[in-house]
Amino acid sequence: MSTWPTQNKYISQSTTRVDAAAKVSGRARYSSDIQADGWLYGMILRSKWPAAKILVVDLDPARKIPGIKAALVVRDAPFTIRYYGEEIAAVAGTSKQACLDALRAIVVKAEPKDQFVVSEDDARQPDSAQVWEGAKNASTPRVRETGSVDSAFPECAAVIEGFYTTPVQIHNPMETHGSTVSWTDDGVTSWASTQGIGSVRDGLAGALKLDQSQVRVITDYMGGGFGAKFGAGVEGVMAARLSREAKAPVRLMLTRFDQALAVGNRPSSFQKIKIGALADGKLHAFEMENYGTAGIGAGGDGGGGGGGANIQAPYLYKVPNSRVKQFSVAVNAGSSRAFRAPGNPPASFGMESAMDDLAVKLGIDPLELRLKNDPNKIRQHEYRLGAEQLGWKEKYRSPGSSPGVVKTGIGCAAAAWPAGGGSRDTQGEAQISSDGSIELRLGVQDIGTGTKTVIAIVAAEILGLKPSQITVRVGDTNFPAGPGSGGSTTCASVSPTVYDICNNALSQLQSRSGLADARGDNWFAACKTLGVSPLTVHGQWQPGLSADHACGVQFAEVAVDTETGLVTVLKIVGVHDCGLIIDRLTLESQINGGIIMGMGYALYEERVLDTLSGVMLNPNFETYKLPGIADVPEIEVVLVNMPERGVIGIGEPSTVPTAGAIANAVANAIGVRVTSLPITPAKVLAALGKVPPAMKS
Amino acid sequence: MNTFSYATALSTGSARDLVADCGAYLAGGNDLLGRLKEYIDSPAILVNIKSLPDLDRIERGEKFWTIGSLVTVARLEQDADLQSAFPGLHDAAAEIASPQIRNVVTVGGNLAQHSRCWYYRQRDVKCLKKDGDLCYARQSDNRYHSLFSGNDCISPVVSSLATAFAALDATAVVMRNGEEQRWSMAQFYADAWKMRLAHNSLQTGDLILRVEIPVNRPRSAYLQASDKHTFDWALVSCAAAADYVDGKLVRPRVALGSISPVPHQVDAANQYLEGRGLDEISAATAADMILAGAHPLEHNAYKVPLAHALIRRTLLRLKG
Repeated sequence: MSTWPTQNKYISQSTTRVDAAAKVSGRARYSSDIQADGWLYGMILRSKWPAAKILVVDLDPARKIPGIKAALVVRDAPFTIRYYGEEIAAVAGTSKQACLDALRAIVVKAEPKDQFVVSEDDARQPDSAQVWEGAKNASTPRVRETGSVDSAFPECAAVIEGFYTTPVQIHNPMETHGSTVSWTDDGVTSWASTQGIGSVRDGLAGALKLDQSQVRVITDYMGGGFGAKFGAGVEGVMAARLSREAKAPVRLMLTRFDQALAVGNRPSSFQKIKIGALADGKLHAFEMENYGTAGIGAGGDGGGGGGGANIQAPYLYKVPNSRVKQFSVAVNAGSSRAFRAPGNPPASFGMESAMDDLAVKLGIDPLELRLKNDPNKIRQHEYRLGAEQLGWKEKYRSPGSSPGVVKTGIGCAAAAWPAGGGSRDTQGEAQISSDGSIELRLGVQDIGTGTKTVIAIVAAEILGLKPSQITVRVGDTNFPAGPGSGGSTTCASVSPTVYDICNNALSQLQSRSGLADARGDNWFAACKTLGVSPLTVHGQWQPGLSADHACGVQFAEVAVDTETGLVTVLKIVGVHDCGLIIDRLTLESQINGGIIMGMGYALYEERVLDTLSGVMLNPNFETYKLPGIADVPEIEVVLVNMPERGVIGIGEPSTVPTAGAIANAVANAIGVRVTSLPITPAKVLAALGKVPPAMKS
Repeated sequence: MNTFSYATALSTGSARDLVADCGAYLAGGNDLLGRLKEYIDSPAILVNIKSLPDLDRIERGEKFWTIGSLVTVARLEQDADLQSAFPGLHDAAAEIASPQIRNVVTVGGNLAQHSRCWYYRQRDVKCLKKDGDLCYARQSDNRYHSLFSGNDCISPVVSSLATAFAALDATAVVMRNGEEQRWSMAQFYADAWKMRLAHNSLQTGDLILRVEIPVNRPRSAYLQASDKHTFDWALVSCAAAADYVDGKLVRPRVALGSISPVPHQVDAANQYLEGRGLDEISAATAADMILAGAHPLEHNAYKVPLAHALIRRTLLRLKG
């Protein structure tokens, strides 16, 4: 079994991203920057109805628009539309405006349906409009039961019940979904904004009926995906089909409007929780009924990878008597997709809210209740570190006892991320030249998390070089295959692979050169013996260098204006572990990003669908609100380095506990709980009992 | 957007002629271009007015200041003299959008901007304000909508400057068919109160020339409450202005934004405050009077306590 070196020059230190200068100077070419020779704009026509039968799609008027080179239907009519924004047709042309004009010129004959449903509570009623003909919107509940719940509740010293809800959240990466695709006689090349060059290649090949070897996917730089960018997508397939028809490369990047409707989201949750503890604070009984929507996707699968509406319960706690009933509800809306720690942020929010409500009922400090019940030693340690950092003991007051109009409060919550381990199929190679230059090639993609930097650091460490001496190339299906960037697995996949490549390189160089140690000062001398043929060395993921299951706890301190309802986050302390830390700088950046995204989930973000018209009311950043720089507080990241565990990914756990911690801090500040995310001023004022009844419109 | 022709006007007269009966004036363009791109409006011609002489000046007079309609919001925000003369106007300007947007948008454009109602702005919804037959907000999601309205449309005025100008009793000078008209803020938005299709009282071809602000209310304040800390629309905004002599209010005026199609002003409350000292009780009494008759709907009733708090806080700021 391989082991990591214990004395490190770069691993566990801070190294600036190897592509930082390229990114800040604009030299880095993202997928949306690609300008292939003779490229055309591509755009998609979407349904303006939430439910309709499409009878005829006439593209001829679009083809007559000057500059339009191709127009195609996504499917042959007749077909059924099940949500606002579903794709109908696509066009390619020489200008954006030509495409916009063409989309408006397309004649769609349709029978709009009055019967549609966009609200979860409406959809689960027996008389609701059906999203899928002949099928109930609500799936058959999945029930899991342990112990004896009904007899356990009467044995509890304190029992609370709550109804905790979370909205549908949209991924909204900086770069929208899309690609440039060139289809020639030689095959298809796609410059895609993707988290999985391999899955895009296979998806395109399947949809276009091509050999996988005829499709090449390139992702030099891409602007985030958060789980929604694994497949080729309708937009990717249509770009390819348009390219074939137009005989030119087609760039089809979605607009923000498109992005909000049809390429994924985090399912909602409606969690009815009853939880009880014995007099000593030990959790004893738990019951939950939860439903949520994954849009038109039935989506009953559990969290951890898919886009389903089920969540883990009672999350990270062990309760001897437990009954959990969950189902998903289809509505006329775009399907969910995996979203940064699928299932976990809503599960953490619901359970951690219930834990604090229970602590209040028991009359004990909520941190104490967690220390009594969290079975995980790492988190126990992290809670203590975080409490120290925040000053929990000094700052904790009983709920609502903060004086004045603007009340402060603190709260905490935890994460349990089951993945984060490496993909054992990961491969890579290095090409080493006689001048000592070395290029590593891995068929993985850097989704903005610093994968290239991780590769350079590990290679530099093993070879005794500097990260700047390592050329890293990723994002090309012509390179040895790497994993899709999901499940926080990338770092734990590539680090052991680079370790293997570099050790193989060293042993080959040493045997060729006769040098006992080809590292560091001897590197160039060893390479010189190579002559004109560069050395190509392969490597693959090795066991013993990575692990899974990261923990993490977060603390929030907030101020709540009890007259305006505005929540100001004063501070977040995030205590996180991910085994052996590779690069502190990109790690802290990941955690900062996860926390900011968690703040958006806690306070601002919510997809709003209109029950009357079925359209989305906030497909933009004006009313789909995201945290801005003025909303983001001081974030303190406390890292727990555990080299003995090997490398574990961190991307997902860092966003899990934020909303629960903030919600608990708000409840601690004002003495009443806002049970529904996002915690808006309107909901704070309502929780405080300040909102008068509505009058009839 | 649909095609349009484009011209740059060098005089107000030629600007008016070029706009004719189906054009639009283009200054900062922040609202107009959004409407064009969403096909909400399709004027036949855009008349660039940024080269019109004299409309980009801030002039300090003895009895009133004159703010040209082409003055950018960033200049309002950054003018130190203006900040000490009209702190409420400064604070309103500073709350608008983001620094980049404030660098571009103008005083005239801020006053003339259209409703931000998310039904009005939704490309696939034809609401009352787009000459449809239904106010969706009344029946559906009205969380950002009005507590008061004189017609079936409940989209509120969102101009932060209008709120501040109303409290300062400023006058907008509008050129209509070659003649200058002088409108109070109430008059500037009067049509929006009465008519579902109107966003303000401007008609095609009307050109805002300047705003005149009397200097006889040396104390002013503006506060807004939003979902976020910056770069967000006001859920409710409030401005108050007055003189404060020997602990008594003189010429007090209070106005609110985002709760009515017009800057919401209640004369009786202003009269109540006249000659009165400022304390929690007088401020709360004024707030009660200002919000009397509010018509909260299913999702916007929170605006009532929010507005009440803002009125009290804004008024108390006048004490200095």
